[in-house]
Amino acid sequence: MRYVKLPEENFEEFFNSLKKWGNVYAPTKQGNIYSFKKVEELSEVSLDYNRTMLPPKKFFVRPKDEMLKLKGKKWEECNGVEKIVLFGIHSCDIHGLQILDKVYLEEPADPYYKKRRENSIIIGISCMPDEYCFCKSLGTDFAMSGFDLFLHELPDGYLVRVGSVKGHEIAWENENLFEDVSEEDLKNFRAFEEERAKAFKKALNKEGLADMLDLAFNSPVWKKYEKICLGCGSCNMVCPTCRCYEVCDLWTNAYESVRIRRYDSCFMESHGLVAGGHNFRPTRLDRFRHRYYCKSYFDPSAGFNCVGCGRCDEFCPAKIEHVKVLDEVREALE
Amino acid sequence: MSTFQTHDARILEVKELTSREKLFTLRFVDPEINRNFKYKPGQFVIVDIRGFGEFPISLCSTPTREGYFQLCIRRVGRMTKYVHELKEGDIVGIRGPYGNGFPMETMEGSNLVLVAGGLGMAPLRSVLWYALDSGKYQHIYLFYGTKSYEDILFRDEITHLLKHGEAMNCTVKLAYEVESPSCIYLEKGFAPKVCKGVVTDLFRGEEFDVTNTYALICGPPVMYKFVIRELLDRKLSPGRIYMTLERRMRCGVGKCGHCIVGTSTSIKYVCKDGPVFTYWDALSTRGLI
Ligand SMILES: Cc1cc2nc3c(=O)[nH]c(=O)nc-3n(C[C@H](O)[C@H](O)[C@H](O)COP(=O)(O)OP(=O)(O)OC[C@H]3O[C@@H](n4cnc5c(N)ncnc54)[C@H](O)[C@@H]3O)c2cc1C
Ligand code: SF4
Ligand code: SF4
Ligand code: FES
Repeated sequence: MRYVKLPEENFEEFFNSLKKWGNVYAPTKQGNIYSFKKVEELSEVSLDYNRTMLPPKKFFVRPKDEMLKLKGKKWEECNGVEKIVLFGIHSCDIHGLQILDKVYLEEPADPYYKKRRENSIIIGISCMPDEYCFCKSLGTDFAMSGFDLFLHELPDGYLVRVGSVKGHEIAWENENLFEDVSEEDLKNFRAFEEERAKAFKKALNKEGLADMLDLAFNSPVWKKYEKICLGCGSCNMVCPTCRCYEVCDLWTNAYESVRIRRYDSCFMESHGLVAGGHNFRPTRLDRFRHRYYCKSYFDPSAGFNCVGCGRCDEFCPAKIEHVKVLDEVREALE
Repeated sequence: MSTFQTHDARILEVKELTSREKLFTLRFVDPEINRNFKYKPGQFVIVDIRGFGEFPISLCSTPTREGYFQLCIRRVGRMTKYVHELKEGDIVGIRGPYGNGFPMETMEGSNLVLVAGGLGMAPLRSVLWYALDSGKYQHIYLFYGTKSYEDILFRDEITHLLKHGEAMNCTVKLAYEVESPSCIYLEKGFAPKVCKGVVTDLFRGEEFDVTNTYALICGPPVMYKFVIRELLDRKLSPGRIYMTLERRMRCGVGKCGHCIVGTSTSIKYVCKDGPVFTYWDALSTRGLI
């Protein structure tokens, strides 16, 4: 990794220089929640945010997305990719994107996702956990890859990790804005990380989690939550690694149709429904449990399907807590 | 060309198999695509009715017969109703083939026991004809359970094999549930190969060397449990029992998430890890059957 320093006084100029790489999207405050929005000025950006409601997946797997357009009798690709700079992404969300990459870039690659990913620049930023975060337990509190630049807060600016050739080019273009990293900066960087590590209030016990859950298939805990869960699917929408989609064709006028896809949720009854009305996950219990199994699946090459961002807890109207459910399942087994 | 783009295929023939099922014979309009279209028994394609939607259908023809492919489609809802209205000469979009298919090469030299229930006959017909055409398998058994005489898919082919199968090392047996004059007539002609009952009744009186036999199952979800019990009772290894499964599918290539099954220790995509699985896979992946 290459490290450089961005002094506080150059921060705004650096930020403004990013516009030449694409439209800049950054966390902004919208009422009581944060959201990634297109920004022009640094003043619009809320860098001390905890989490946005929708994770950055919305730029790559869109809530509603046109895939193909019917022209004459043939499908044409829906084209036009925006060059974007995602500024201020937290480490957990970078991990989330890498989990999506694994799915969407694996052959055959999803053409829409791939193009958007290739046209994006990811600039990470360090953060302090709040009561919902448990990324540390999952090892997603620090990103080792998956970004172009990563900014770590220092008392007088940022320690910048350069994570890719593109990141290197950006730093190069702005050479005059950066300085070499001093011993003092490294000390401050380590101090920040230590303080951050201590600030976590929530932890997930992932010791043997996959096996433990598998054994608990008939746990009474699932039955308890079946009654509490509203089946609204919010937890799917806000999760940075949930990415099920549904497809349908829509006629825009008498001659033209578009094939669109939109977020689907495994909490919807139709998710496992096949012809003739047979449903492979007919009850709320089946669906609730399925989500936990999917999130807690451990892929040897990509890790768990949960990055501990805490969104599903914060935005669950029934106040169901991910870690608490898993702890209860474990307790019921012991 | 994009993953989700479909290719024009012309309907060469539409044949009514039953009141609900039609057999569509198709060929790609582009000769190049036609030449490059290679598939294995057990794989499926996604049929695209442009402007209306897509749905998955198993290939029921065999790759040993080139130049065309066939789909047996049951009319059950919106899309399949639309397809049933199509005529010879009409065009549909096709993408695929998808899925793993049956391991035909691994099974060479062995006995094949094909167990079909209802529409499950469609993907197994591909295996059946592949095995008969290639001549690389020892003995082929087809146990086919159907509701009534009217529901028998590929009736001509089945009757032909009831008559002449043994000469081709192929034993075909049929179980029907609803009695009718036609069934009784068939039963008279071919007893004990044809009988009233369920598909597991057809195992009666058949012995096969379990060290050299593979079973291939396809049918409605309820059927698997009973057939598998029958096979396990005969000490067939869970690794030699193959079954092809159905799930809701949208993308067919492991993106849309609908066909995911399993638990925290084993997650599988039916579309790309399957649709063919062994019974061992089912033992180690909950929710598969
Ligand atoms: C691997 C595989 C192989 C199949 N092979 C065959 C075959 O050889 N012959 C055959 O007749 N049928 C087969 N099917 C089932 C076939 O896909 C459904 O019957 C068909 O999608 C029903 O569509 P519909 O719009 O007519 O039905 P509806 O009941 O109106 O369906 C409503 C909606 O659900 C969707 N849907 C329903 N069932 C399925 C499903 N299983 N997978 C994906 N989407 C579904 C439809 O696309 C539609 O949007 C197969 C399914 C799979 C997964
Ligand atoms: S957000 Fe909460 S209530 Fe809604 S489906 Fe998820 S767990 Fe259930
Ligand atoms: S399951 Fe919850 S905590 Fe884990 S990544 Fe998804 S939204 Fe974040
Ligand atoms: S059908 Fe989309 S993931 Fe399997």
